[in-house]
Amino acid sequence: MSFAWKAAGITYNRYLAIAARVVRRSLKEGPRLQAERRGEMDLRFAKWQNGKQGENKNLGDANASAMAEHAAETK
Amino acid sequence: MLSRAARPALSVGNAALARSAVPNSANYATLREIEGRLKSIRNIEKITKTMKIVASTKLTRAQKAMTESRTYGQTSNQVFEEAETKPLEDKKTLMVICSSDKGLCGGIHSGLSRATRRMVEGNSNVDIAIVGEKCKAQLSRSNAKQIVLSFAGVGKDVPTFADAQAIADQICLLPEEYASVKILYNKFINAQSYEPTPIEAFSEEAITQSPNFAAYEIDDAVLANMREYSLANSLFWALAEGHACEQSARRNAMDNASKNAGDMISKFTILYNRTRQAVITGELVEIITGATASEDM
Repeated sequence: MSFAWKAAGITYNRYLAIAARVVRRSLKEGPRLQAERRGEMDLRFAKWQNGKQGENKNLGDANASAMAEHAAETK
Repeated sequence: MLSRAARPALSVGNAALARSAVPNSANYATLREIEGRLKSIRNIEKITKTMKIVASTKLTRAQKAMTESRTYGQTSNQVFEEAETKPLEDKKTLMVICSSDKGLCGGIHSGLSRATRRMVEGNSNVDIAIVGEKCKAQLSRSNAKQIVLSFAGVGKDVPTFADAQAIADQICLLPEEYASVKILYNKFINAQSYEPTPIEAFSEEAITQSPNFAAYEIDDAVLANMREYSLANSLFWALAEGHACEQSARRNAMDNASKNAGDMISKFTILYNRTRQAVITGELVEIITGATASEDM
């Protein structure tokens, strides 16, 4: 079994998140605003090396770029 | 000669005596101080009361989210229970600590840190990923070498599944292969007590080695997806339950703080009134003695 999104370097969770976003966006105006609040993610993260904290980065952007990199590797 | 030589020591002793005597004799000067303290305690009580009310309203929402996410996580983990999946021993483990960014909620964050230290102690094969600033600050002092990731920005609102997914993705992208992921969170027992509890999220290797795995016909390609998804599910559960615990702990902490402030206010009001009376009595005595003394003349 092969998946198109897997070839694009996207993880299953990311795939689900995108699918969920599409569903939310296609809702009617009233419920959409409520539902989109559930899809918000505003986390920051930092990598640690040898007991030192690295730079604080936005998690969403970092995930997207990491997956793009991953996709380039698999091709 | 002798008396003069003895005098410095005497005066030092007197000064020490006088200094220690000042706070005891509550008199005119401290009246204003007491008033000031009373005022500030009243203000603090107002703040803690408001925070308690805010936490209470947030708590009902958090608890609803918790019960929903708990059934969600448990259903997701049922597969592993049925398959009797066991974590692989003596392999690299990742601990994910679910705390939050905000304090003023009693000892739940330090309880979590303490549990982490206890579990990590004597086991060098463990890496730590931390969600939330509070536990990060505490653990970076003791276990800084083992931390690989830290997340910030949680705890403002009820955690969403998108949060959990993003965290799970970042964990999956870590260069090291972890044989098992332990998610440590505060389990909500009742409104008064919480317990740091781990949930296991297994690696693909562990899942394939579980005894009843053959009962499920799972394709290898799907397995990786399932593992990522179940990690996100467990994380979501842990985050939501941790959030509910935090709100409930904050409510309790603020309740206690307001109560203590109330106690202090009543104590200080009594002291204030008593001091005021003492000052008035003292002044009256002075006036009367002055009057009688001048009468005699």
